[in-house]
Amino acid sequence: VRRLLLVLWVAVLSGCGGSALERGPVTLVFKYARILGPADPVPELLREFEAAHPNVRVRGEALPWTSDEQHQFYVINLEGRSPGFDVMMLDVIWVPEFARAGWLLDLTPGLHPGELAPYFPSTVEAATDHGRVWALPWNMNVGLLYYRADLLGKYGLAPPETFDELARQVVRIRAGERDPALDGYLWQAKQYEGLVVNVLEAFWANGTRLLADDGTLFPEPGRAAEALGFLRGLIASGVSPAWTPAADEELSRRAFGDGRAVFLRNWPYAMDLFQARDSPVRGRVGIAPLPGFAGGPRGAGSTGGAHLGVSRRSRHPELAVDLARFLTSERAQKAIALGAALSPTREVLYHDPGLVRSRPELPALHALMRAGRSRPVTPYYLLLSSTVQPEFSAVLVGLKAPARAIGDARLRLSHFLDALR
Amino acid sequence: VTGRTRAARRQALLLLAPTLVALTALTVYPGCWVVWLSLQHRVPIFGVARFAGLDNFAFLAVDPRFWSAARTTAAFTALSVALELLLGVAVALALARQERGRRLGLSLLLLAWAMPSVVTAKLYEWLYHPTAGLINVLLGAHAINWLGDPRLALPAVILADVWRSMPFVALLCYARLRTIPAELYEAAQVDGAGRLATLGRVTLPLLGRIVLLALLFRTLDALRAFDIMFVLTGGGPAGTTETLTVYAYRSLFQMLQLGFGSAISVVVFALVMGAAWAYLRLLRPRAVVA
Repeated sequence: VRRLLLVLWVAVLSGCGGSALERGPVTLVFKYARILGPADPVPELLREFEAAHPNVRVRGEALPWTSDEQHQFYVINLEGRSPGFDVMMLDVIWVPEFARAGWLLDLTPGLHPGELAPYFPSTVEAATDHGRVWALPWNMNVGLLYYRADLLGKYGLAPPETFDELARQVVRIRAGERDPALDGYLWQAKQYEGLVVNVLEAFWANGTRLLADDGTLFPEPGRAAEALGFLRGLIASGVSPAWTPAADEELSRRAFGDGRAVFLRNWPYAMDLFQARDSPVRGRVGIAPLPGFAGGPRGAGSTGGAHLGVSRRSRHPELAVDLARFLTSERAQKAIALGAALSPTREVLYHDPGLVRSRPELPALHALMRAGRSRPVTPYYLLLSSTVQPEFSAVLVGLKAPARAIGDARLRLSHFLDALR
Repeated sequence: VTGRTRAARRQALLLLAPTLVALTALTVYPGCWVVWLSLQHRVPIFGVARFAGLDNFAFLAVDPRFWSAARTTAAFTALSVALELLLGVAVALALARQERGRRLGLSLLLLAWAMPSVVTAKLYEWLYHPTAGLINVLLGAHAINWLGDPRLALPAVILADVWRSMPFVALLCYARLRTIPAELYEAAQVDGAGRLATLGRVTLPLLGRIVLLALLFRTLDALRAFDIMFVLTGGGPAGTTETLTVYAYRSLFQMLQLGFGSAISVVVFALVMGAAWAYLRLLRPRAVVA
């Protein structure tokens, strides 16, 4: 890998990409991750954009599969000043980072008044740094609770509003079912971004945050430690299985989808798979907001999703902004929501009759999306996340006490954040 | 020096030139650049780019995550290479004695070795799946928490690496075994050597150098191992499977600490060079005839 890295550096340094100015038709390059599912609706949308803009060709280019690789791709190309693409799909957590690095075009001057109003406020907030808007929200995600409606119904239980209730329901249902293969509550604690998302949701439920507005890390370390201790307790007490520290979205989705758990925290995409024709849990799954703690705020799911930004190196910035605008328009988002299991960033679509017919879960999802919260909006989010990941993981496998993990994470972060600024 | 040797020398240089240019462009120049980066604080998102001297290395010296990654790298290298050599030699011996099914055995070995390590990692991710994975299904009620237990995660990663890399050692040794003249075994038999004595006095000494070579290749690869743990565990749980290269990758491409990340890369580079130098000394031709 080191060698690969070096080769990449060379490629970057030697300034790949010629500077020959083309005459004739203008070509825009759109970088995005191919959408899984029966039909990728994006190519057709790109043809439509071309039809409306004679003399413009749009090439959709695939990004690598994993979010880590996509980030690496952008860092290498943007730091290397490559003009190889115009519009780019960005994970929402990268937007402030890329903006601060000077890689994105400031979209604020071209925005019409009220243009951002139809979007969920949290998606716009996530694309804003220093009062400027750097990307347009494209699709959205929110953490939510899946539950086995058949099992809860059998024991006369309603979806839990607090974690205590959830734990009690797990104990009761497992005692009644006498099935050793039936797990309780599944969530994601593998050492990766998903772990941070799950811990943040517990922090919020316990009324605290990872990063305060003034930049303080762990503003209330006591509450944060409490939330971490609670999560560890879920595993230690068996409410969540021992393998939770290895679980990512797919692993836990698979186990729940096989009918081997009562509750699951996951993103909306899983619903389509649970309702598939050959799914063992088809028609037996309900969705609810994530639980909170007794006496605390209502549980809120973490939001995620993708934004579209325009490269500052684009040779056709105006056309590129037009393309980003077109792809995030109501029409385009509806086409995408129909063709793929992605959820729109425009609120009105959640009650669009044509869309709700094929995606009946959308109205229920609307409230969850609205209540969702952003991960810390900061240019150093990934630094923050990759520093706390091993610490949180150490707590969840029982190797470190919560308070010590928080102290260690703070110490490391202060080295990178304060000493280097 | 005669004109003839001078001409020959010039021709040799000319023939070497493309290799030297390519090596300089692809290895030496970026290598020097990484060393230069490691002496800087460079964080593009903060617009930080200044000379730091040995600051990055000083921080590494007191960085617990670095030392944990160094220990993990050492344990991974030692255990995976040792197992690969042991199993590889055993499999090669078995194959060499086997007449039937040898081709099938060789093909299966090649298959495992030819698989990209990311694919191997994905394969093992499913094998280790806590509820639906083949291994745990076979174990039934004794299912093991492979990747979620900090004591088992590194062994699980090592196992996947051994499965992938052992065939390399086996094939190298098998090729060497095929070249051992039959007369040597006949002579041993005439001298009254039993099976064990033949193995210990004839076969293994003749395998020695090829095993050393395999040891060199495998050690260098293991020191730089990345894909398999990155895909399987992401370095977790609790950082127990994070190697130096994974830490370097995270620092460079996620935390965007280009100077600090380069410092870790420089350490890995030094380790690999050190290991290569030590082995090459061992491999230096001696007056022993094979």
